[in-house]
Amino acid sequence: MRVLLVEDDDLIGSGVEEGLRDAGMTVDWAHDGREAMLALTTTEYELVVLDLGLPKLSGTELLDWLRGRRDDTPVLVMTARDTVADRVGGLTAGADDYLGKPFDLTELIARCRALLRRAHGRSVETIEYQDLSVDPSTFTVTRNGLRQPLTSRECAVLVELLTHQGTPLSRARLEESLYGWQEEVESNAIEVHVSNLRKKLGPGLIRTIRGVGYVVEKTS
Amino acid sequence: MTGSIRQRLMLLVLASVSVVWVAALVSSYRQAVHEAGEWDDARIEQAARTLTLVDTNDLAALTEDGFHASDDDGDDDLSRRLLYEVRDAEGRLLAASPGLPRAAAKEPPSSQAAAGAVAKYDSLKWNTYVLHDAARGRSVRVFERSDSRTDLGAGVARRIAKPLAYALPVLALLIWVGIGSSLAPLKTLSRAIGARNAGNLDPIDMRRTPAEVRPLVDALNVLFSRLRGSLDRERAFTADAAHELKSPLAAIKVQAQVALTTRDPAKQRLAMQRVVEGVDRSTHLADQLLLLARLDEGVPAPASTVELDAVARECIAAHEANASSKGIGLVLNGDTHVTTLAEPALVRILLDNLVDNAIKYGETGGCVEVVTRLTSEATLLLVRDNGPGVSEQDRLRLSDRFFRGGGSRQSGSGLGLSIVARIVARLEGHLTYTSGIDGRGLGVEVRFPVTRSPSSP
Repeated sequence: MRVLLVEDDDLIGSGVEEGLRDAGMTVDWAHDGREAMLALTTTEYELVVLDLGLPKLSGTELLDWLRGRRDDTPVLVMTARDTVADRVGGLTAGADDYLGKPFDLTELIARCRALLRRAHGRSVETIEYQDLSVDPSTFTVTRNGLRQPLTSRECAVLVELLTHQGTPLSRARLEESLYGWQEEVESNAIEVHVSNLRKKLGPGLIRTIRGVGYVVEKTS
Repeated sequence: MTGSIRQRLMLLVLASVSVVWVAALVSSYRQAVHEAGEWDDARIEQAARTLTLVDTNDLAALTEDGFHASDDDGDDDLSRRLLYEVRDAEGRLLAASPGLPRAAAKEPPSSQAAAGAVAKYDSLKWNTYVLHDAARGRSVRVFERSDSRTDLGAGVARRIAKPLAYALPVLALLIWVGIGSSLAPLKTLSRAIGARNAGNLDPIDMRRTPAEVRPLVDALNVLFSRLRGSLDRERAFTADAAHELKSPLAAIKVQAQVALTTRDPAKQRLAMQRVVEGVDRSTHLADQLLLLARLDEGVPAPASTVELDAVARECIAAHEANASSKGIGLVLNGDTHVTTLAEPALVRILLDNLVDNAIKYGETGGCVEVVTRLTSEATLLLVRDNGPGVSEQDRLRLSDRFFRGGGSRQSGSGLGLSIVARIVARLEGHLTYTSGIDGRGLGVEVRFPVTRSPSSP
């Protein structure tokens, strides 16, 4: 789950980045509106966490621009200006959620999860697939009630594939959702994670479509 | 000028009326007494003439009956008895009033005596009139008591004064009521103001105010609008300040929560360091807010002669460490012994903010220059850097509270330059933003008027 954090304040930004990363999200941090715009045009994000008081291009302008190009990536706005009028204005302008500063990091993460879940059309956190049960918030995968020993990366690949059931995802697409800007990616990282998943959860779960990528078939 | 307007007006009007009345009374009394005197003299003369014509036998009869000259107006409050003596050419007494003062009788009639003389007999004052009739060989003397004339004058005075004495209280009452009703708009105004709640600073309705009260209402309305302006600014400032304080608080909370949840000790340590940084930032913001508030209070400290280059040197020494940690060179250029008259503490705060800003927003490895210059018309203080600078558009907003230049990742309070602007205004100087060293970066120029002569206190 790749998330774009747009925040000009170093102290708040670094804390939120750390918190979201700890929650298993891949975070890119843009420090101003222009940088965020550039990131949004080059990378596909599942969620934008946006501060409104930004230099160069304000959060409101960025939101207008984003919605203007019919991009419906969920946007969570966090701002110090959180009167009812501000909230209403923000939500009307296209924000999906609104969080006033100072906020609780756990609440921010929970709201981010809720937005991601809704974007995937789920109402509960846990993803059920055949006899598997996956909780992306805790990286726990259970099969018939038994916990499966998966690393966080493996779990992230599994969640990504499960949230796009029936749609093949390319290796590049999976890499993009797993690794942020600053992270080094080994060229065969995704193959290794998939092969580990097959070893741990059985070879039939993830299918390779040659030349395209990987897919988890839709349950009928 | 204290006390009640009503009482003051009342006293003034009554006193003026009384003075005018007394003056009128005195003049009328004098006139009346004068007229009465002339009339009396004429009467006495007539009586004397009559006596020269009266037959000797009739004179005797007249003496028995008494000779009265009563008032024509029938007023009998004064006894206007005339006394007389008639002598023949040889000086023999033909007739005399019985009550004639003995002293007067003894005194031989003087041929010089004439009308209107006043003589004193038996310790009483008499008006006398002497008439010599050469044809009939008679000389007549007529006496009248002087005090009867005074009595007449007193009567006249009483008659004039009496109605005025009754009129005075009535007049006082009328004036009291009149002034009261004229002052009613003032009472209405004070009631209207008194009934206002503290938040109501709307202008007072002027439609039914009398012309005399209008300047007061005008002044009040101007005061109200000024108060409203400063109250609005205050509210906006409080709201802005609260929002600004939320940012470091949010940072502290987020970092503290990261420290609490992460299991990595290195990350924990980093997060805790950032918590401390966040607290420092809020402290700095609070300090700047307090400074701004104190500047707003506008209680000027005593000014003294300040040597700008000396203050700049101290300031540079204080910021040296901070600058070198960013690889920025800090230099002082320009004239020495550049003096101006100012509050020394304010000049230091001003320079601190400018230099701090220049370092903060300057470029790593760059340069910050402080220049002091003395020209014929001004004392100049210039702080400039060769950093990325500020766009023309943003320069206009630099002095705004909480404005931070675009693109900076610096976490300043956004108050530095608004504090500078406030101080410059207080020192009656002039603040301009220009480009910095070699046309790059930002230059801040403070111009102190040279007219602030060091000799004046």
